[in-house]
Amino acid sequence: MEKTIAARTGNEAMAEAMRQINPDVCAAYPITPATEIMQIFAGFVNDGKVKTNLITVESEHSAMSACVGSAASGARTMTATSSQGLAYMHEILFIAAGIRLPIVLAEVNRNISAPINIHCDHSDTMAERDSGWIQLFSENPQEAYDAMIMAPRIAEHKDVSLPIMVTTDGFIISHGMERIELYPDAEVQKFVGEYKAPYNVLDVDHPITVGSIVLQDYTFEFKKAQHEAMKNAKRVILEVGREFAKTFGKEYGLIEAYKCDDADYITISLGSTAGTTKTAVEELRAEGIKAGLIKIRSFRPFPAEEIAAILSKAKAVAVLDRSESMSNQAGPVATEVKNGLYDAGMKVPLASYIYGLGGREIFIEDIKDVYKELKNIADGKSKPEQAKYIGLKV
Amino acid sequence: MVKKPELKTWKDIAVGGFVESGTAEYFHTGGWRSKVPVWQKQNCIQCLTCWAFCPDNSIKVVDGAKGKERAGFDYDFCKGCGICAEECPQNNKITKELKTKDASLKITPSTGSGKPGFDEKAAILFVGLKEAKDKYNIK
Repeated sequence: MEKTIAARTGNEAMAEAMRQINPDVCAAYPITPATEIMQIFAGFVNDGKVKTNLITVESEHSAMSACVGSAASGARTMTATSSQGLAYMHEILFIAAGIRLPIVLAEVNRNISAPINIHCDHSDTMAERDSGWIQLFSENPQEAYDAMIMAPRIAEHKDVSLPIMVTTDGFIISHGMERIELYPDAEVQKFVGEYKAPYNVLDVDHPITVGSIVLQDYTFEFKKAQHEAMKNAKRVILEVGREFAKTFGKEYGLIEAYKCDDADYITISLGSTAGTTKTAVEELRAEGIKAGLIKIRSFRPFPAEEIAAILSKAKAVAVLDRSESMSNQAGPVATEVKNGLYDAGMKVPLASYIYGLGGREIFIEDIKDVYKELKNIADGKSKPEQAKYIGLKV
Repeated sequence: MVKKPELKTWKDIAVGGFVESGTAEYFHTGGWRSKVPVWQKQNCIQCLTCWAFCPDNSIKVVDGAKGKERAGFDYDFCKGCGICAEECPQNNKITKELKTKDASLKITPSTGSGKPGFDEKAAILFVGLKEAKDKYNIK
């Protein structure tokens, strides 16, 4: 297959994937830093490069509502948003997941107000972690592009039938230009295939009601079916990842374990920081410190067993959270990791950190300090702290 | 022991809980009623206004000598909203007459039931559950 080497920002890469997928319907409302995705895509619509029906609405609440109506009518549906926009979609996100509509959302991670801040952290996406959406994080524009191509296949799989958000980090990925390999339109379209709707409310020969009231008699069963679909999503993400590797040459899993085989000290992070951490790992290994990284790609479904298995030989672990859950304990990622370790019967010394809120820079040196602290913890020189802020002015 | 009804398991319900059309027929919502409309055939002018306004298709209509004719209420589905009584032209006419006689009278076409002079001429009364049962034999 002839791949095109290009320079693309995260937003350009996501818009390019959407052009190649050519969805039936997009309904969106602009918000920094995701605006550009739909702006570029609107250009494709205007130029006739896609056949998409683009619905410009008056709010994100309406955007997701239009997406729900569209997807329930048997149309492949996509949108894009960020931050307050995602928060404004909140109640409809739960509805999309509950009635099992495989909508694809390009989400650019950005701080949630207050304070008003347009830069990257994961507080918007993490706030929707219980919404029932599959959530994939990307390290760079290439991963965002690849994930957008896999997203419809994962979401529309009959054992899953759940909406999916593919996320990038605001400005760091969304506006950062990098080398990227683009695939031919025909290959992408062949991989994605025809839309397989779970049902169709516009099928007049088989009229149905969607989103009806369900009370004590069936809500429990309704939720259990959704729960099992999210379990199935773990398997399907791996299956689609393997198939993607056969076609496009790069395999994706639920996590990426970077130099973890012999690692004494492992940090866990997601998004663009994983890329920074890889450099820190290299530099530390040159100094003789056996550092490793677990990059979580799929936050929902959460790969608890997979992470626990890799941490089984680690001497100390740190989880880096780019959002606050104000639990007084740890950020959301650290909380999930700890859950998984408890279930696996493991008690590894674990320090949790909060970093990068509102786009605060995280440097290679900051991450190396985390690994050095892990060494101190493993050597008994210090105790693991929880929700420690990295780079705070004190 | 209360026998549990036969219900589907979580594996049997349709994806996203969608339901086939027409199932409302099996779900009798009349039990939600807290007030009851009572049709007085002798006063009805057969305009079918109530049929047009009923939000739940609870006005029974039959084929009569001059075309469609209003029959009774379908109490399996009537939720007792009172719109039929409020919109009934006969009820409106009698309400207006009573108010002309007594300007201080505070009634509407759906709240006139029981007031002197109303029940005799109104086409649709709108009464409480107990009165419906005791006086009109409607459960």
